[in-house]
Amino acid sequence: MTAEEILQQIRARFASEVRTSEVRRGEATLTVKADQNFEICRFIKEELGFEYLNCLSGVDWIGENEMEVAYAISSLRQPGKIILRARVPRDEPVLRSVVPLWGTADWHEREAFDLFGIRFENHPDLRRILLPEDWIGHPLRKDYQDERFVPYPWDDRKPGSVVRPTTA
Amino acid sequence: MTTVNLHLQQVKEQTGESMEEMWVNMGPQHPSTHGVLRLLIKLDGEVVRECIPYMGYMHRCHEKIGENRAYVQIIPYTDRLDYLASMYNNWAYCLACERLMGIQIPERAEYLRVLIGELQRIASHLIWLGTFGLDLGNFTLFMWCFREREMVLDLFEAVSGQRLNYSFMRIGGLALDVPEGWLGDVKAFLQWFKPRLPEYDRLSTDNIIWQKRIQGVGILKPEDAVSYACSGPVLRGSGIRWDLRKNDPYGIYDRFEFDIPVGTSGDVWDRFWVRRQEIDQSVRIVEQALKDIPPGPVLAPVAKKLRAPVGDIYSRVESPRGELGDYIIADGSEKPYRYKVRAPTFVNLSALPVMLPGYLVADAVAVLGSVDIVLCEVDR
Repeated sequence: MTAEEILQQIRARFASEVRTSEVRRGEATLTVKADQNFEICRFIKEELGFEYLNCLSGVDWIGENEMEVAYAISSLRQPGKIILRARVPRDEPVLRSVVPLWGTADWHEREAFDLFGIRFENHPDLRRILLPEDWIGHPLRKDYQDERFVPYPWDDRKPGSVVRPTTA
Repeated sequence: MTTVNLHLQQVKEQTGESMEEMWVNMGPQHPSTHGVLRLLIKLDGEVVRECIPYMGYMHRCHEKIGENRAYVQIIPYTDRLDYLASMYNNWAYCLACERLMGIQIPERAEYLRVLIGELQRIASHLIWLGTFGLDLGNFTLFMWCFREREMVLDLFEAVSGQRLNYSFMRIGGLALDVPEGWLGDVKAFLQWFKPRLPEYDRLSTDNIIWQKRIQGVGILKPEDAVSYACSGPVLRGSGIRWDLRKNDPYGIYDRFEFDIPVGTSGDVWDRFWVRRQEIDQSVRIVEQALKDIPPGPVLAPVAKKLRAPVGDIYSRVESPRGELGDYIIADGSEKPYRYKVRAPTFVNLSALPVMLPGYLVADAVAVLGSVDIVLCEVDR
């Protein structure tokens, strides 16, 4: 199945969901609306036969006020790769979990929740995975602020540099 | 049902007593977790019923650091991911950038990358074999493996000046050509190394204690291995012939002849045996690369300040531990907009709660060892 055929099949089935689709470097790349992400993933896994979820990654598109979950999906039986990108509004980032389809999505989704604050409905155990449980904020969001990001914060002689706040 | 389970059931039927269940912490400070990993294990007598891994003790948000660095500046940080296979991390990252920017690298650099990558695989599998032997109480194997690994580190020190965190590859090739006579040193190393492999076998493969200890333990079924997206020796141990060097070739791997060893039952023994045979295959590849390596430049002419065109790429290589993927989104500036590392050990470790239940707590060490985790890469 070529990348173009993959895209055609997905477009035929989910015509109203697909926002953009293109073939890049031989890979099928498509952006979809998020409310049908589980059904599209199930279609890709069960009917197109791409049973291997390589990677699930969150992205913060702060300029467009949207969050994205990018699924890199491939197969061990056939060549070809699919990059599926589901967009959700940034102030309400909720998607359906794909853990029922792929066991590996469990930890990937926990990581996206931990670092981006994207919530996954029906996830069996949505907790922070890399950061401590009492951490505040989601560091990979583009507007996340931490005084330690500023280089040389202790140098208050430079104009415009930030002084690390001292704790009482 | 294992014999232990059967025994417990018989005890329950005969006496009406059930063993008390309890939660036990393994780690974060435990010698066989190879770093700081905490496993919360539910025990029923001596049998593991449930396992919940807790990680993140070494989290430094590698991806956030990457978003705030220029493309070239990220290379030293990739060394610190899987510090036992730094060359491979360099390679994975540089390859992703090269694919994104459309850079062709010189022929000699391709050969040297394969050569160095396979030497790195040998070193990485040796340290795995050694520490795995240590976990099982085979101390001699540990010393022997470290002796040969030290020789590979000497070779790498000669090319890069470093022993662990090499930062040797660049976007567009390699930082430097190898020193004069280095290829001869590699040949001499192989001459020393090849007769050592049967010696390892006498200590491990042919050792009846070793066999009894790891056969039939920690079985990972092939369908679970695919569902949990395991890769590398963990996937191949479950009997699935899948190696990115063959199935999705990168670099010049399509020019080399080598086999992909696979297991049959997916137990700890199979994962061990796959890695042991992969050392032989790596030696084969290194020998072929030594024969064909051409002269020439090692770095393509690339700009000092690299900018990637707008777009994204998911690029993957077969690191010693499995599929090492880099997902990079470029927005046209000199920094990546999003930089995600798909760490093979992170994904392989997620299958541990499937492998452990039903086996003895004493086998937990062997099962965990067979996954071959590097916590710096898991935590990123």
